[in-house]
Amino acid sequence: MDIILGIRVSDATLIATSKAATRSISILKDDDDKTRELNKHNLIAFTGESGDTTQFAEYVQANIQLYSMRENDIELSPKATASFIRNQLATSIRSRKPYQVNCLIGGYDTKTGKPSLNWIDYLGTQVELPYGAHGYAAFYTTSLLDKHYREKMSIDDGLKLMDMCIDELNKRMPIDFKGVYIKVVDKDGIRLIK
Amino acid sequence: MSGYDSALSIFSPDGHVFQVEYASEAVKRGTCAVGVKGKETVVLGCEKRTTLKLQDPRITPSKICKVDHHILLAFAGLNADARILVDKARVEAQSHRLTLEDSVTVDYLTKYVAGVQQKYTQSGGVRPFGIATLIAGFDSNDNVPKLYQTEPSGVFNAWKAHAIGRSSKTVKEFLEKNYTDDLSEDETIKLTIKSLLEVVQTGAKNIEVSVMKPNSVIQTLTIDEIKKYVDEIEAEKEAEAEKKKPKN
Amino acid sequence: MSRRYDSRTTIFSPEGRLYQVEYAQEAISMAGTAIGILSTEGVVLACEKKVTSKLLDDDGSAEKLYIINDQMLCAVAGMTADASILVNNARVAAQRYLKTYNEQIPCEMLINKVCDIKQGYTQHGGLRPFGVSFLYAGYDDRYQFQLFTSNPSGNYSGWKATSIGANNSAAQTLLKKDYKDEISLKEACELAIKVLSKTMDASNINSEKLEFATLSLSSKEEGKIIQKIWNDKEIDLLIKTTGVLNDKSTGDE
Repeated sequence: MDIILGIRVSDATLIATSKAATRSISILKDDDDKTRELNKHNLIAFTGESGDTTQFAEYVQANIQLYSMRENDIELSPKATASFIRNQLATSIRSRKPYQVNCLIGGYDTKTGKPSLNWIDYLGTQVELPYGAHGYAAFYTTSLLDKHYREKMSIDDGLKLMDMCIDELNKRMPIDFKGVYIKVVDKDGIRLIK
Repeated sequence: MSGYDSALSIFSPDGHVFQVEYASEAVKRGTCAVGVKGKETVVLGCEKRTTLKLQDPRITPSKICKVDHHILLAFAGLNADARILVDKARVEAQSHRLTLEDSVTVDYLTKYVAGVQQKYTQSGGVRPFGIATLIAGFDSNDNVPKLYQTEPSGVFNAWKAHAIGRSSKTVKEFLEKNYTDDLSEDETIKLTIKSLLEVVQTGAKNIEVSVMKPNSVIQTLTIDEIKKYVDEIEAEKEAEAEKKKPKN
Repeated sequence: MSRRYDSRTTIFSPEGRLYQVEYAQEAISMAGTAIGILSTEGVVLACEKKVTSKLLDDDGSAEKLYIINDQMLCAVAGMTADASILVNNARVAAQRYLKTYNEQIPCEMLINKVCDIKQGYTQHGGLRPFGVSFLYAGYDDRYQFQLFTSNPSGNYSGWKATSIGANNSAAQTLLKKDYKDEISLKEACELAIKVLSKTMDASNINSEKLEFATLSLSSKEEGKIIQKIWNDKEIDLLIKTTGVLNDKSTGDE
């Protein structure tokens, strides 16, 4: 029931994740951050089997950090990062106990100067999209995004569209997800908007 | 030939482990590296081989390696050995983060590196690492600079200032004479470069310097910045020589 | 039991040197010369073929030049049998990187990986070091065209122009004299021939004794790398246009 939602605008990628950490019928906390910084310009947002999610995200984070250390602070590009994560999940699904993790990778390629949003599920499907979501959030917001998404949107336009999606979710979803954190990935790195 | 000789590094009848001692000789053949601790900084400096005319200046492997965001390692000895050891240290630093949710302390990492080096003096069919290292950095949320040294034998020590590699004895003597506690950032850099100049005759182009400050701030000095210090030091030396002259 | 593995592991000499590694390097300095030159438009690798016989059934493939992946080539000096093991490792590593990251492996990283293997054989395993040096010509989007060498110790370095194998110091001196920073690929090829003609023992050089390869960017397709291993005709033509043969005959007279 977690919400993870991403929108790519012209020079940044926005990622929204719900703050509620739920287990069975209870909300455990209302300030859960479902994202990890992989490197300066790559953010992973994840959802799925709790436990698997953080374990996987932190494992991937450690590997990508190790890459930066070995390569004298040269960062893995968003495309390479997403491919690496896809590869990890594709290997995992063929193991005895696969990770049940779906994720979005918000990235900014410093070399080409382009933002990107990569959608990856636990089966190892990877697609580069202008906007995307996992789970129930996708059902409620895809039509909105289809209608209102434009090429060449500014960060503010993107945030407005994001707010529309969140309002829709608040209105229609039967569960309280305790609001969202919104993070932006652009040329300056990753920062929390709210 | 009874199976007791599986380790290459074994005690000789008079109590030496020759392979380890010989590895230290390999360290002495390597270029010099210096580490100096200031009040709130720690500086690593290295002697850099001249880039030949036909060498590609874009690809100059540095002797000062980043192990994690907050730790630097400088080495003296066999380059290829160092690459392997540094990589082990990097993997350990990330693995520590992953399991303990905290970054490694400089002390822990030093013990790890020394531990690996020790293992290679007591395992079958391997030779020791032909390198000594200087490990410098700050623990997270801490403003106290740390500086350690490890040897091929696996011995490690904490130092206020230290040197390894070629002519390190001269540099160590210089540091002993000139080190004072609570050096400022500028003074620390200057002392590092000054001590290196004891063995590097060719000046700034054969020196590399990295400065570390709390909160993972790492600054690699450009050749011009180093040159500024070198010029300053030389001017001071000249002035001192001038002062001595009239007395004679 | 244990003796079987560790009796031959490389060990330190009292002066802290690794003789096995130095001997391996010594062996390479007697092998056929290989030259690499970096130009603004690409890289050229040229090597001297030592085994030449009319009876050799030549299938046209090069003996000392190997393609590693879509953007890298290498030339070998030393034991070719050892080289093929390392080249195979390099090829696998390159493809593995491509599979995980969906991007070509950066040149230096690949060379680093090969050198780590070389280093391993100088420290453990009980086997002799690899008796080969390499020249690598590569392209990646970090530094564009690059030229590297690596040796049995597991060290590597980047160069604008360099050589490995027999007479490499003489070749290096010649390169130092004639190399200029804005050299074109064509000029680089000519320089390679010139240097080889002077360092090779043979009195006259021809395609039988040479192997030639270039790495350049395609003019038709943006970002595409062209790896070309030259055939005999092309090499002979280059020798002819360079005029090294004429120089030599007049010199002899």
